[in-house]
Amino acid sequence: MLLAKTLKSSTFKLALIAIGTFGAIVSVIFTYVYLSTASYVRSRSDRALMIEYLSLRDAYARSGRQGLLDLIGERTTDKSFEGNVYALVDPTSKLLGGNLAAWPSPPTSPSGWTEFRASAPLPGGSNLPLVRGMLETLPGGDRLLVGRDISDLDHFTARIKLAVISSVVLIFLLAAMASVLVTRRTVGRIEQINATSRAIMQTGLDQRIPLRGSNDEWDRVAENLNLMLDRIETLMTEIKQVSDNVAHDLRTPLTRMRGRLETAYHGKRASEADQLLIGDTIADLDAVLRISSSLTRIAQIEGQARKDAFRTINLVEIASEVVELYDAAAEQYGTRLTMVGDREVPVTGDRDLIFDAIANLVDNAIKHGRERGHVVVTVENADSGPTIAVGDDGPGIPACEREHVFKRFYRLEQSRYTPGNGLGLSLVAAVARLHGARMEMRDNAPGLRFELQFSPPNSQRSASAGRDPAENTQ
Amino acid sequence: MTGGHRRILVVEDDPETAGQLVEQLTTSGYHVDLAASGNEALSRGAAHDYAVITIDRMLPDIDGIAVMRQLRDDGIAAPFLIISALGEVDDRVRGLRAGGDDYLVKPFSFVELLARLEALGRRSETVAKETILRVGDLAIDLISRTASRRGKDIMLLPKEFHLLEYLARNQGRIVSRAMLLQHVWDLHFDPSTNIIDVYVGRLRRKVDDQQAYPLIHTVRGVGYCLRAPR
Repeated sequence: MLLAKTLKSSTFKLALIAIGTFGAIVSVIFTYVYLSTASYVRSRSDRALMIEYLSLRDAYARSGRQGLLDLIGERTTDKSFEGNVYALVDPTSKLLGGNLAAWPSPPTSPSGWTEFRASAPLPGGSNLPLVRGMLETLPGGDRLLVGRDISDLDHFTARIKLAVISSVVLIFLLAAMASVLVTRRTVGRIEQINATSRAIMQTGLDQRIPLRGSNDEWDRVAENLNLMLDRIETLMTEIKQVSDNVAHDLRTPLTRMRGRLETAYHGKRASEADQLLIGDTIADLDAVLRISSSLTRIAQIEGQARKDAFRTINLVEIASEVVELYDAAAEQYGTRLTMVGDREVPVTGDRDLIFDAIANLVDNAIKHGRERGHVVVTVENADSGPTIAVGDDGPGIPACEREHVFKRFYRLEQSRYTPGNGLGLSLVAAVARLHGARMEMRDNAPGLRFELQFSPPNSQRSASAGRDPAENTQ
Repeated sequence: MTGGHRRILVVEDDPETAGQLVEQLTTSGYHVDLAASGNEALSRGAAHDYAVITIDRMLPDIDGIAVMRQLRDDGIAAPFLIISALGEVDDRVRGLRAGGDDYLVKPFSFVELLARLEALGRRSETVAKETILRVGDLAIDLISRTASRRGKDIMLLPKEFHLLEYLARNQGRIVSRAMLLQHVWDLHFDPSTNIIDVYVGRLRRKVDDQQAYPLIHTVRGVGYCLRAPR
């Protein structure tokens, strides 16, 4: 199964091409080495034979056939010339001297270089020697053969040949094995990812791709896929939680309405009471509609479709409008609402949404801060970018609860019975995400300080690259 | 106002909604024509001079926006009120860009619709270029941007002045919270808190406290109305 996949995989095919190319190059190099080694060895031995031949011919020129025969006799008994082959025949091919049992037959050529297998062993030898020699017809018509037993040389080149061939074969084998192993590893990792994907499709989002801890590119791919899965799982859980909460929050007013209408239906018509009942029902219906439109709104913001409407806006202007709008509300709670910071803090974004987000933060600060407290809105060009912070001096939010408050319908235990539907901060979070802004909740000692850090308007793309390429000033 | 200018064309394909609209608007003194499809709207819209045309975004044959464009191209000057179940701002703004004069999101309260129709109908009349708006003993000076009652200045924040001006321009008419948000704050969403009430409450204290009679009246469940006693 895995092997079949290995052989089919593109990595393996690539490896095969690499092996083929590499093997061809190695074969060419080794063949060259073999051929040049063999010819070098041969040419050295040929030169030695030529010298020997020349000295024999000198002897023949100086003292005739007898002198030559004497020299041949000397050479065949001299140990230092062992391995040399000599033969002298008269014009009728009668053997006159030398250590060869018979004139090679058929002589491959009348003169020049020749190679042949001797018909009898040399004196003192046992094998039939392979002889390479030189044939020459002397001036008197006699023919001289000076040669050498090249059996050793032949063995030597044969060995080189064997070595070359076997190393080429070995290289091919090793390379093939290595590529199968590498491909198997790759295919194995991919299979792991595939298996996890299949498992997720079949059973659910709780599966993760195992990491090998090798920190290689495969681990990084797996890590990123796992992060993606984490995000999807969080979103899915959130959606489930939200739909549960929606069901609950919608059911409460719907149940009230139903009960009321049912009582009225079975009871007697009484115009005064009916009027009241209808008024209450309309108010409950409005509450239901508000929840539903808040949810659509958040969903739409999270759908990122609003970026088309982005332009450069002054955060200070928006914040001061919010502060002015909420000034009256703060007055009701006896809270002091003030604004500090720079005069101009430009950001790229959607005015309505940023207004809504700041309004929610200020609203929360006033409602959940201390009564007769102090809410401060700070808007400034901080080092990290345009920042708006809303701080109160109320009870704050325990550190462990801070991350939950962005969830839809989440309400702190302490504020379960104050007005609000728990959607405010999820809207703030959605707006922040859309604008690539960072959200932070800090301890305002006492109270809570909520910060939104935007990217500077002209560097929005680079600062939030990857997640929120929000640059739209058309 | 001539009889023709109390005439309204309602373009709505849902029979029950259409029936409710016709009944309520007729009760409110309008003469109502009904068109149940885009094509019908095109022929009726071109045939009469309407004070306002309300048009549903989603019609069975032609898209409401396209009907509106066509009527505009045919030289129909009547203001359009777009009624849409596509509740999001993008759609609203798109409707306005395409030539709509106002929008309303389904479901809406009838009083809200009436308030918008009144405002639109008035818009189609010529608006006098006044420099001082007067409601009872309240005088709003649009040049110096100050307000006073019986000659006594009222200290107002810029937005409070804007709000009072808007109420005065619509004196005697009901103005909904959504209309205030839209025209005074240029916000196209519902902040889903009672923040507008709180804000108007403070304005009311500044304008009406220790005066002979109140000018700013709350219309329960809808909004406000600025009017002097008769």
